[in-house]
Amino acid sequence: MSWRLRGNQSPDRVSTFSAGDDNGDGAESRPLASTGNNSFAEGTADNLPKTSVSSVSAAAGDSCGSHPAAENDAAEASSKPEQIVAAETSSRPTDAEIIAQENAIRASEADKLPFVGDVEPLSALAAEYQEGSRVFLQKIHTLEGQYSSIRRARGDGNCFFRSFIFAFFEHLVNTNDLAERNRVVTCIRQWRKKMIDSGFQELVFEDAMEVIFDQLNSLDTDDPLTVASLEGNMRDGMLSNMVVMLLRMLTSCEIQRREDFFAPFIMGMSDDALSVEQFRRRCVEPMGEESDHVHIVALTDALQIPIRVVYLDRSMGAAMAGVEAGEGASVNHHDFIPDACAAAAGGGPVQPRVHVLYRPGHYDILYPYA
Amino acid sequence: MSTPARKRLMRDFKRLQNDPPQGVNGSPNPDNIMQWNAVIFGPEDTPWDGGTFKLTLEFTEEYPNKAPVVKFKSTMFHPNIYADGGICLDILQNQWSPIYDVSAILTSIQSLLCDPNPNSPANSEAARMYSENRREYNRRVKEVVEGSWTESVD
Repeated sequence: MSWRLRGNQSPDRVSTFSAGDDNGDGAESRPLASTGNNSFAEGTADNLPKTSVSSVSAAAGDSCGSHPAAENDAAEASSKPEQIVAAETSSRPTDAEIIAQENAIRASEADKLPFVGDVEPLSALAAEYQEGSRVFLQKIHTLEGQYSSIRRARGDGNCFFRSFIFAFFEHLVNTNDLAERNRVVTCIRQWRKKMIDSGFQELVFEDAMEVIFDQLNSLDTDDPLTVASLEGNMRDGMLSNMVVMLLRMLTSCEIQRREDFFAPFIMGMSDDALSVEQFRRRCVEPMGEESDHVHIVALTDALQIPIRVVYLDRSMGAAMAGVEAGEGASVNHHDFIPDACAAAAGGGPVQPRVHVLYRPGHYDILYPYA
Repeated sequence: MSTPARKRLMRDFKRLQNDPPQGVNGSPNPDNIMQWNAVIFGPEDTPWDGGTFKLTLEFTEEYPNKAPVVKFKSTMFHPNIYADGGICLDILQNQWSPIYDVSAILTSIQSLLCDPNPNSPANSEAARMYSENRREYNRRVKEVVEGSWTESVD
Protein backbone atom coordinates (compact mmCIF):
# COMPACT_ATOMS: atom_id res chain seq x y z
CA MET A 1 0.00 0.00 0.00
CA SER A 2 1.10 3.51 -0.12
CA TRP A 3 2.95 5.28 2.62
CA ARG A 4 2.11 8.63 1.20
CA LEU A 5 -1.05 9.53 2.97
CA ARG A 6 0.22 12.11 5.35
CA GLY A 7 -0.99 13.72 8.49
CA ASN A 8 -1.36 16.88 6.48
CA GLN A 9 -3.88 15.21 4.23
CA SER A 10 -6.79 17.55 3.83
CA PRO A 11 -10.06 16.20 5.22
CA ASP A 12 -11.67 17.02 1.90
CA ARG A 13 -9.47 14.67 0.06
CA VAL A 14 -10.01 11.86 2.53
CA SER A 15 -13.74 12.16 2.31
CA THR A 16 -13.45 12.21 -1.45
CA PHE A 17 -12.09 8.75 -1.56
CA SER A 18 -14.14 7.18 1.19
CA ALA A 19 -17.27 8.31 -0.53
CA GLY A 20 -16.09 7.38 -3.97
CA ASP A 21 -18.66 4.72 -4.70
CA ASP A 22 -19.60 5.72 -8.18
CA ASN A 23 -16.19 5.74 -9.73
CA GLY A 24 -15.67 2.07 -9.26
CA ASP A 25 -12.76 2.44 -6.90
CA GLY A 26 -14.27 0.06 -4.42
CA ALA A 27 -13.69 2.12 -1.33
CA GLU A 28 -16.97 1.02 0.17
CA SER A 29 -16.56 -2.58 -0.66
CA ARG A 30 -14.17 -3.08 2.16
CA PRO A 31 -14.66 -6.62 3.25
CA LEU A 32 -16.21 -6.90 6.68
CA ALA A 33 -14.87 -10.37 7.20
CA SER A 34 -11.31 -9.63 6.30
CA THR A 35 -8.86 -12.40 6.95
CA GLY A 36 -6.45 -9.85 8.23
CA ASN A 37 -3.71 -10.52 5.74
CA ASN A 38 -5.35 -8.72 2.94
CA SER A 39 -3.95 -5.30 2.61
CA PHE A 40 -6.68 -4.00 0.37
CA ALA A 41 -8.87 -1.13 1.45
CA GLU A 42 -7.01 -0.03 4.48
CA GLY A 43 -7.83 3.55 3.96
CA THR A 44 -4.56 4.62 2.49
CA ALA A 45 -3.84 6.55 -0.63
CA ASP A 46 -4.07 3.34 -2.60
CA ASN A 47 -7.76 3.85 -2.77
CA LEU A 48 -7.53 7.40 -3.89
CA PRO A 49 -8.29 8.22 -7.44
CA LYS A 50 -4.92 8.21 -9.09
CA THR A 51 -4.82 11.91 -9.69
CA SER A 52 -4.95 12.46 -5.96
CA VAL A 53 -2.16 10.01 -5.35
CA SER A 54 0.09 11.95 -7.64
CA SER A 55 -0.74 15.24 -6.10
CA VAL A 56 -0.16 13.86 -2.63
CA SER A 57 3.30 12.77 -3.67
CA ALA A 58 3.98 16.08 -5.24
CA ALA A 59 2.85 17.93 -2.15
CA ALA A 60 5.12 15.80 -0.02
CA GLY A 61 7.98 16.72 -2.28
CA ASP A 62 7.42 20.33 -1.44
CA SER A 63 7.69 19.86 2.26
CA CYS A 64 11.43 19.91 2.13
CA GLY A 65 14.26 21.37 0.24
CA SER A 66 14.02 19.97 -3.20
CA HIS A 67 16.40 18.22 -5.43
CA PRO A 68 17.59 20.40 -8.31
CA ALA A 69 15.14 18.61 -10.60
CA ALA A 70 12.33 20.23 -8.65
CA GLU A 71 13.87 23.63 -8.30
CA ASN A 72 10.91 25.32 -9.92
CA ASP A 73 8.95 24.58 -6.78
CA ALA A 74 11.50 26.36 -4.67
CA ALA A 75 11.53 29.37 -6.94
CA GLU A 76 7.80 29.53 -6.85
CA ALA A 77 7.71 29.20 -3.10
CA SER A 78 10.18 31.98 -2.50
CA SER A 79 7.89 34.43 -4.20
CA LYS A 80 5.17 33.71 -1.65
CA PRO A 81 6.55 34.57 1.75
CA GLU A 82 3.12 34.41 3.39
CA GLN A 83 3.21 30.65 2.97
CA ILE A 84 6.06 30.46 5.39
CA VAL A 85 3.90 31.56 8.24
CA ALA A 86 1.21 29.10 7.26
CA ALA A 87 3.71 26.27 7.17
CA GLU A 88 5.07 27.17 10.57
CA THR A 89 1.83 27.48 12.42
CA SER A 90 0.12 24.40 11.00
CA SER A 91 0.19 21.28 13.12
CA ARG A 92 1.74 19.26 10.36
CA PRO A 93 3.97 16.48 11.69
CA THR A 94 7.69 16.84 11.23
CA ASP A 95 9.48 14.86 8.55
CA ALA A 96 10.96 12.65 11.24
CA GLU A 97 7.48 11.89 12.58
CA ILE A 98 6.21 11.08 9.12
CA ILE A 99 9.09 8.73 8.45
CA ALA A 100 8.60 7.08 11.86
CA GLN A 101 4.94 6.55 11.08
CA GLU A 102 5.73 5.13 7.67
CA ASN A 103 8.18 2.70 9.22
CA ALA A 104 5.56 1.63 11.75
CA ILE A 105 3.07 0.94 8.96
CA ARG A 106 5.68 -1.02 7.06
CA ALA A 107 6.46 -3.09 10.13
CA SER A 108 2.81 -3.90 10.70
CA GLU A 109 2.41 -4.91 7.05
CA ALA A 110 5.46 -7.13 7.38
CA ASP A 111 3.84 -8.90 10.33
CA LYS A 112 0.83 -9.76 8.22
CA LEU A 113 2.43 -11.14 5.10
CA PRO A 114 5.88 -11.86 3.67
CA PHE A 115 6.79 -9.99 0.46
CA VAL A 116 5.03 -12.78 -1.39
CA GLY A 117 2.63 -15.17 0.32
CA ASP A 118 1.77 -18.82 -0.30
CA VAL A 119 -0.51 -20.05 -3.05
CA GLU A 120 -4.11 -20.03 -1.83
CA PRO A 121 -7.26 -21.28 -3.52
CA LEU A 122 -9.39 -18.56 -5.01
CA SER A 123 -12.06 -19.40 -2.45
CA ALA A 124 -9.82 -17.72 0.13
CA LEU A 125 -10.46 -14.49 -1.73
CA ALA A 126 -14.22 -15.01 -1.72
CA ALA A 127 -14.11 -15.65 2.02
CA GLU A 128 -12.92 -12.09 2.55
CA TYR A 129 -16.04 -10.66 1.00
CA GLN A 130 -18.68 -12.92 2.49
CA GLU A 131 -20.26 -10.00 4.26
CA GLY A 132 -19.06 -7.41 1.82
CA SER A 133 -19.85 -6.37 -1.68
CA ARG A 134 -22.14 -8.62 -3.70
CA VAL A 135 -20.52 -7.38 -6.90
CA PHE A 136 -17.16 -8.56 -5.69
CA LEU A 137 -18.53 -11.98 -4.77
CA GLN A 138 -20.20 -12.35 -8.14
CA LYS A 139 -17.01 -11.40 -9.91
CA ILE A 140 -14.89 -13.73 -7.81
CA HIS A 141 -17.32 -16.49 -8.67
CA THR A 142 -16.70 -15.77 -12.35
CA LEU A 143 -12.94 -15.76 -11.80
CA GLU A 144 -13.14 -19.17 -10.16
CA GLY A 145 -14.04 -20.51 -13.58
CA GLN A 146 -10.75 -19.27 -15.02
CA TYR A 147 -8.29 -19.20 -12.16
CA SER A 148 -7.45 -21.86 -9.61
CA SER A 149 -5.54 -19.85 -7.11
CA ILE A 150 -4.03 -16.63 -5.94
CA ARG A 151 -0.73 -15.64 -4.34
CA ARG A 152 -0.78 -12.43 -2.39
CA ALA A 153 1.95 -9.81 -2.46
CA ARG A 154 2.63 -7.55 0.49
CA GLY A 155 0.91 -4.21 0.20
CA ASP A 156 4.01 -2.07 0.48
CA GLY A 157 3.69 -0.05 -2.71
CA ASN A 158 5.94 -2.50 -4.54
CA CYS A 159 3.25 -5.14 -5.00
CA PHE A 160 2.98 -4.78 -8.76
CA PHE A 161 6.71 -5.16 -9.36
CA ARG A 162 6.98 -8.01 -6.88
CA SER A 163 3.94 -9.86 -8.25
CA PHE A 164 5.08 -9.37 -11.81
CA ILE A 165 8.61 -10.69 -11.42
CA PHE A 166 7.67 -13.51 -9.08
CA ALA A 167 4.99 -14.76 -11.44
CA PHE A 168 7.33 -14.52 -14.41
CA PHE A 169 10.15 -16.41 -12.69
CA GLU A 170 7.70 -19.01 -11.43
CA HIS A 171 6.37 -19.40 -14.96
CA LEU A 172 9.93 -20.05 -16.18
CA VAL A 173 10.53 -22.58 -13.39
CA ASN A 174 7.32 -24.45 -14.11
CA THR A 175 7.65 -24.50 -17.89
CA ASN A 176 11.45 -24.76 -17.97
CA ASP A 177 11.18 -22.52 -21.01
CA LEU A 178 14.88 -21.97 -21.60
CA ALA A 179 14.33 -20.12 -24.85
CA GLU A 180 12.31 -17.49 -23.03
CA ARG A 181 14.89 -17.48 -20.25
CA ASN A 182 17.64 -16.82 -22.78
CA ARG A 183 15.61 -14.11 -24.43
CA VAL A 184 15.02 -12.24 -21.21
CA VAL A 185 18.66 -12.57 -20.10
CA THR A 186 19.75 -11.07 -23.41
CA CYS A 187 17.13 -8.38 -23.08
CA ILE A 188 18.31 -7.38 -19.59
CA ARG A 189 21.95 -7.47 -20.77
CA GLN A 190 21.04 -4.94 -23.45
CA TRP A 191 19.56 -2.71 -20.78
CA ARG A 192 22.99 -2.34 -19.20
CA LYS A 193 24.17 -0.20 -22.09
CA LYS A 194 20.84 1.54 -22.54
CA MET A 195 20.80 2.59 -18.89
CA ILE A 196 24.38 3.85 -18.97
CA ASP A 197 23.61 5.77 -22.16
CA SER A 198 20.59 7.27 -20.41
CA GLY A 199 22.71 8.61 -17.57
CA PHE A 200 22.33 5.88 -14.93
CA GLN A 201 25.49 5.09 -13.02
CA GLU A 202 26.40 1.45 -13.56
CA LEU A 203 27.27 1.13 -9.89
CA VAL A 204 23.66 1.69 -8.87
CA PHE A 205 22.26 -1.26 -10.82
CA GLU A 206 25.02 -3.80 -11.52
CA ASP A 207 24.59 -5.78 -8.29
CA ALA A 208 20.85 -6.02 -8.76
CA MET A 209 21.36 -7.21 -12.32
CA GLU A 210 23.67 -9.96 -11.08
CA VAL A 211 21.02 -11.09 -8.60
CA ILE A 212 18.55 -11.52 -11.44
CA PHE A 213 21.05 -13.25 -13.73
CA ASP A 214 22.03 -15.66 -10.94
CA GLN A 215 18.45 -16.78 -10.56
CA LEU A 216 17.71 -17.01 -14.26
CA ASN A 217 20.96 -18.75 -15.12
CA SER A 218 20.50 -21.37 -12.41
CA LEU A 219 17.49 -22.79 -14.26
CA ASP A 220 19.56 -25.28 -16.26
CA THR A 221 22.19 -26.08 -13.65
CA ASP A 222 22.47 -28.95 -11.17
CA ASP A 223 21.08 -26.65 -8.52
CA PRO A 224 18.22 -25.08 -10.39
CA LEU A 225 15.85 -22.44 -9.19
CA THR A 226 12.72 -24.07 -7.77
CA VAL A 227 9.47 -22.57 -6.64
CA ALA A 228 10.61 -23.10 -3.06
CA SER A 229 13.97 -21.38 -3.58
CA LEU A 230 12.27 -18.61 -5.53
CA GLU A 231 9.93 -18.08 -2.60
CA GLY A 232 12.91 -17.98 -0.29
CA ASN A 233 14.73 -15.43 -2.46
CA MET A 234 11.75 -13.20 -2.97
CA ARG A 235 10.96 -13.20 0.76
CA ASP A 236 14.51 -12.17 1.59
CA GLY A 237 14.42 -8.43 2.10
CA MET A 238 17.77 -7.76 0.48
CA LEU A 239 17.38 -9.92 -2.63
CA SER A 240 13.74 -9.14 -3.16
CA ASN A 241 14.21 -5.40 -2.87
CA MET A 242 17.23 -5.44 -5.17
CA VAL A 243 15.10 -7.04 -7.85
CA VAL A 244 12.30 -4.50 -7.35
CA MET A 245 14.87 -1.70 -7.42
CA LEU A 246 16.20 -2.86 -10.78
CA LEU A 247 12.70 -3.17 -12.23
CA ARG A 248 11.97 0.38 -11.12
CA MET A 249 15.11 1.64 -12.83
CA LEU A 250 14.27 -0.24 -16.04
CA THR A 251 10.78 1.23 -15.94
CA SER A 252 12.14 4.71 -15.37
CA CYS A 253 14.68 4.33 -18.16
CA GLU A 254 12.05 3.03 -20.60
CA ILE A 255 9.88 6.06 -19.83
CA GLN A 256 12.85 8.35 -20.34
CA ARG A 257 13.76 6.75 -23.66
CA ARG A 258 10.19 7.07 -24.94
CA GLU A 259 9.43 10.38 -23.31
CA ASP A 260 7.32 11.65 -26.21
CA PHE A 261 5.06 8.62 -25.99
CA PHE A 262 4.59 8.73 -22.21
CA ALA A 263 4.49 12.50 -21.65
CA PRO A 264 0.77 13.04 -22.44
CA PHE A 265 -0.27 10.20 -20.09
CA ILE A 266 1.93 11.53 -17.30
CA MET A 267 0.73 15.09 -17.70
CA GLY A 268 -2.86 13.91 -17.52
CA MET A 269 -2.36 11.99 -14.28
CA SER A 270 -2.36 14.87 -11.84
CA ASP A 271 -3.39 18.47 -11.52
CA ASP A 272 0.26 19.37 -11.05
CA ALA A 273 1.12 18.20 -14.56
CA LEU A 274 4.37 16.62 -13.49
CA SER A 275 7.12 16.64 -16.06
CA VAL A 276 8.33 13.25 -17.21
CA GLU A 277 11.52 13.82 -15.26
CA GLN A 278 9.63 14.67 -12.07
CA PHE A 279 7.34 11.69 -12.53
CA ARG A 280 10.30 9.33 -12.85
CA ARG A 281 12.06 10.80 -9.81
CA ARG A 282 8.96 10.93 -7.62
CA CYS A 283 6.69 8.14 -8.75
CA VAL A 284 8.85 5.47 -10.36
CA GLU A 285 12.32 5.31 -8.88
CA PRO A 286 11.62 5.56 -5.13
CA MET A 287 10.74 2.25 -3.50
CA GLY A 288 7.16 1.98 -2.30
CA GLU A 289 5.64 4.28 -4.88
CA GLU A 290 2.45 2.83 -6.34
CA SER A 291 2.34 1.50 -9.86
CA ASP A 292 -0.11 2.79 -12.39
CA HIS A 293 -0.89 2.11 -16.02
CA VAL A 294 2.22 4.00 -17.13
CA HIS A 295 4.51 1.84 -15.01
CA ILE A 296 2.94 -1.35 -16.34
CA VAL A 297 3.18 -0.33 -19.97
CA ALA A 298 6.80 0.74 -19.54
CA LEU A 299 7.93 -2.36 -17.68
CA THR A 300 6.18 -4.88 -19.90
CA ASP A 301 7.59 -3.10 -22.97
CA ALA A 302 11.06 -2.91 -21.45
CA LEU A 303 11.19 -6.65 -20.86
CA GLN A 304 8.77 -7.65 -23.62
CA ILE A 305 6.71 -9.76 -21.30
CA PRO A 306 2.97 -9.73 -22.02
CA ILE A 307 0.74 -9.68 -18.97
CA ARG A 308 -2.96 -9.71 -18.18
CA VAL A 309 -4.37 -7.51 -15.44
CA VAL A 310 -7.76 -8.65 -14.13
CA TYR A 311 -9.74 -5.87 -12.48
CA LEU A 312 -11.74 -6.74 -9.41
CA ASP A 313 -13.54 -3.50 -8.74
CA ARG A 314 -17.05 -2.25 -8.21
CA SER A 315 -17.79 -1.39 -11.81
CA MET A 316 -21.32 -2.64 -12.31
CA GLY A 317 -22.84 -2.05 -15.72
CA ALA A 318 -21.64 -4.82 -17.97
CA ALA A 319 -20.94 -7.08 -15.01
CA MET A 320 -24.53 -7.12 -13.86
CA ALA A 321 -25.89 -7.44 -17.38
CA GLY A 322 -24.09 -10.77 -17.39
CA VAL A 323 -25.72 -11.78 -14.12
CA GLU A 324 -29.17 -10.91 -15.42
CA ALA A 325 -28.51 -12.95 -18.52
CA GLY A 326 -27.66 -15.85 -16.23
CA GLU A 327 -24.06 -15.93 -17.39
CA GLY A 328 -22.42 -14.66 -14.24
CA ALA A 329 -20.80 -11.28 -13.63
CA SER A 330 -18.28 -10.41 -16.28
CA VAL A 331 -14.90 -9.26 -15.08
CA ASN A 332 -12.86 -6.67 -16.91
CA HIS A 333 -9.31 -7.41 -17.84
CA HIS A 334 -6.68 -5.69 -19.88
CA ASP A 335 -3.81 -7.33 -21.70
CA PHE A 336 -0.57 -5.39 -21.89
CA ILE A 337 1.01 -6.73 -25.05
CA PRO A 338 4.33 -5.18 -26.00
CA ASP A 339 4.59 -4.35 -29.70
CA ALA A 340 7.49 -6.73 -30.17
CA CYS A 341 5.39 -9.63 -28.82
CA ALA A 342 2.46 -8.74 -31.04
CA ALA A 343 4.76 -8.52 -34.06
CA ALA A 344 6.32 -11.88 -33.23
CA ALA A 345 2.86 -13.42 -33.08
CA GLY A 346 2.22 -12.14 -36.59
CA GLY A 347 -1.20 -10.77 -35.79
CA GLY A 348 -2.27 -13.89 -33.92
CA PRO A 349 -3.28 -13.86 -30.27
CA VAL A 350 -0.55 -13.33 -27.69
CA GLN A 351 -0.82 -15.38 -24.52
CA PRO A 352 0.01 -13.39 -21.40
CA ARG A 353 2.80 -15.02 -19.43
CA VAL A 354 1.79 -13.40 -16.19
CA HIS A 355 -1.68 -12.84 -14.73
CA VAL A 356 -2.20 -10.38 -11.91
CA LEU A 357 -5.31 -9.44 -10.02
CA TYR A 358 -5.88 -5.74 -9.47
CA ARG A 359 -8.05 -4.53 -6.65
CA PRO A 360 -8.04 -0.76 -6.27
CA GLY A 361 -4.59 0.07 -5.04
CA HIS A 362 -3.21 -3.44 -4.92
CA TYR A 363 -1.91 -6.28 -7.09
CA ASP A 364 -1.67 -10.02 -6.41
CA ILE A 365 -0.73 -12.98 -8.60
CA LEU A 366 -3.40 -15.11 -10.27
CA TYR A 367 -2.95 -18.69 -11.48
CA PRO A 368 -5.01 -19.69 -14.50
CA TYR A 369 -6.08 -23.31 -14.86
CA ALA A 370 -3.44 -25.24 -16.78
CA MET B 1 32.20 -9.20 5.97
CA SER B 2 31.10 -8.01 2.58
CA THR B 3 27.41 -7.29 2.36
CA PRO B 4 25.54 -5.73 -0.55
CA ALA B 5 25.50 -2.40 1.28
CA ARG B 6 29.25 -2.45 1.91
CA LYS B 7 29.97 -3.58 -1.62
CA ARG B 8 27.89 -0.74 -2.96
CA LEU B 9 29.61 1.79 -0.66
CA MET B 10 33.01 0.69 -1.97
CA ARG B 11 31.74 1.43 -5.47
CA ASP B 12 30.41 4.80 -4.34
CA PHE B 13 33.82 5.58 -2.89
CA LYS B 14 35.63 4.51 -6.02
CA ARG B 15 33.44 6.76 -8.14
CA LEU B 16 33.98 9.67 -5.80
CA GLN B 17 37.74 9.23 -6.20
CA ASN B 18 37.86 8.53 -9.93
CA ASP B 19 35.25 11.05 -10.97
CA PRO B 20 35.21 13.66 -8.20
CA PRO B 21 32.41 16.20 -8.50
CA GLN B 22 33.44 19.79 -8.08
CA GLY B 23 33.30 21.22 -4.61
CA VAL B 24 32.53 18.10 -2.60
CA ASN B 25 34.63 15.39 -1.06
CA GLY B 26 34.01 12.43 1.17
CA SER B 27 35.47 9.20 2.44
CA PRO B 28 34.53 6.37 4.78
CA ASN B 29 36.17 6.01 8.16
CA PRO B 30 39.20 3.75 7.77
CA ASP B 31 37.75 1.23 10.22
CA ASN B 32 34.06 1.51 9.33
CA ILE B 33 32.78 1.84 5.81
CA MET B 34 29.27 2.59 7.10
CA GLN B 35 30.41 5.91 8.59
CA TRP B 36 31.58 8.65 6.26
CA ASN B 37 32.95 12.13 6.68
CA ALA B 38 32.45 14.64 3.93
CA VAL B 39 33.19 18.24 3.10
CA ILE B 40 31.14 20.55 0.94
CA PHE B 41 32.78 23.71 -0.29
CA GLY B 42 30.58 26.76 -0.59
CA PRO B 43 29.82 27.41 -4.27
CA GLU B 44 31.73 30.33 -5.82
CA ASP B 45 30.01 33.64 -6.48
CA THR B 46 27.48 32.99 -3.74
CA PRO B 47 27.40 34.07 -0.10
CA TRP B 48 28.56 30.53 0.71
CA ASP B 49 31.83 31.02 -1.25
CA GLY B 50 34.87 29.99 0.74
CA GLY B 51 33.02 27.92 3.33
CA THR B 52 34.25 24.43 4.15
CA PHE B 53 31.29 22.64 5.66
CA LYS B 54 31.78 19.30 7.30
CA LEU B 55 29.17 16.54 7.34
CA THR B 56 28.73 12.97 8.45
CA LEU B 57 26.86 10.26 6.58
CA GLU B 58 25.67 7.17 8.43
CA PHE B 59 24.63 4.19 6.34
CA THR B 60 22.81 1.03 7.37
CA GLU B 61 22.86 -2.42 5.84
CA GLU B 62 19.67 -1.41 4.05
CA TYR B 63 21.57 1.02 1.85
CA PRO B 64 20.90 1.73 -1.01
CA ASN B 65 17.32 0.72 -0.33
CA LYS B 66 17.27 3.28 2.49
CA ALA B 67 18.88 6.70 2.51
CA PRO B 68 21.79 7.42 4.86
CA VAL B 69 21.40 9.84 7.75
CA VAL B 70 23.28 12.96 6.72
CA LYS B 71 24.12 15.75 9.13
CA PHE B 72 26.15 18.91 9.03
CA LYS B 73 28.76 19.03 11.76
CA SER B 74 29.66 22.62 10.96
CA THR B 75 27.28 25.25 12.30
CA MET B 76 24.91 26.26 9.51
CA PHE B 77 22.39 29.00 8.85
CA HIS B 78 20.00 27.79 6.18
CA PRO B 79 16.21 27.48 5.81
CA ASN B 80 16.35 23.71 5.34
CA ILE B 81 18.97 22.77 7.91
CA TYR B 82 17.95 22.05 11.50
CA ALA B 83 19.83 23.30 14.53
CA ASP B 84 21.30 19.82 15.06
CA GLY B 85 22.67 19.76 11.52
CA GLY B 86 19.90 17.54 10.13
CA ILE B 87 18.96 18.31 6.54
CA CYS B 88 15.46 18.68 5.15
CA LEU B 89 15.96 17.53 1.58
CA ASP B 90 13.42 15.51 -0.36
CA ILE B 91 15.88 12.99 -1.78
CA LEU B 92 17.09 12.14 1.74
CA GLN B 93 13.53 11.52 2.85
CA ASN B 94 10.39 10.66 0.94
CA GLN B 95 11.95 10.99 -2.50
CA TRP B 96 14.97 8.81 -1.80
CA SER B 97 15.69 6.20 -4.41
CA PRO B 98 18.57 3.80 -4.95
CA ILE B 99 19.71 5.65 -8.06
CA TYR B 100 21.51 8.14 -5.82
CA ASP B 101 25.04 7.43 -4.69
CA VAL B 102 27.26 9.37 -2.28
CA SER B 103 28.43 11.62 -5.07
CA ALA B 104 24.84 12.52 -6.03
CA ILE B 105 23.85 13.05 -2.38
CA LEU B 106 26.69 15.49 -1.79
CA THR B 107 26.13 17.47 -4.96
CA SER B 108 22.41 17.71 -4.19
CA ILE B 109 23.18 19.10 -0.74
CA GLN B 110 25.63 21.51 -2.29
CA SER B 111 23.00 22.86 -4.64
CA LEU B 112 20.52 23.09 -1.77
CA LEU B 113 22.83 25.63 -0.12
CA CYS B 114 22.11 28.22 -2.82
CA ASP B 115 18.60 27.07 -3.67
CA PRO B 116 16.75 26.74 -0.39
CA ASN B 117 13.07 25.94 -0.23
CA PRO B 118 11.72 28.35 2.40
CA ASN B 119 8.21 26.93 2.00
CA SER B 120 8.67 24.46 4.81
CA PRO B 121 11.53 25.60 6.94
CA ALA B 122 13.74 23.59 9.25
CA ASN B 123 15.13 26.89 10.53
CA SER B 124 12.30 29.40 10.56
CA GLU B 125 14.52 32.37 11.30
CA ALA B 126 16.69 31.62 8.30
CA ALA B 127 13.63 31.01 6.14
CA ARG B 128 12.00 34.27 7.10
CA MET B 129 15.19 36.21 6.62
CA TYR B 130 15.83 34.57 3.27
CA SER B 131 12.46 35.78 2.03
CA GLU B 132 12.21 39.14 3.76
CA ASN B 133 15.70 40.46 4.30
CA ARG B 134 18.15 38.90 1.93
CA ARG B 135 20.94 41.29 2.86
CA GLU B 136 20.81 40.29 6.51
CA TYR B 137 20.48 36.64 5.48
CA ASN B 138 23.63 36.89 3.38
CA ARG B 139 25.45 38.49 6.30
CA ARG B 140 24.51 35.60 8.57
CA VAL B 141 25.64 33.13 5.91
CA LYS B 142 29.01 34.90 5.70
CA GLU B 143 29.31 34.44 9.47
CA VAL B 144 28.92 30.68 9.24
CA VAL B 145 31.33 30.64 6.29
CA GLU B 146 33.97 32.29 8.47
CA GLY B 147 33.05 30.07 11.38
CA SER B 148 33.62 26.99 9.22
CA TRP B 149 37.32 27.80 8.90
CA THR B 150 38.09 27.60 12.59
CA GLU B 151 35.34 25.44 14.02
CA SER B 152 36.40 22.18 15.55
CA VAL B 153 33.86 19.51 14.68
CA ASP B 154 35.12 16.51 16.59
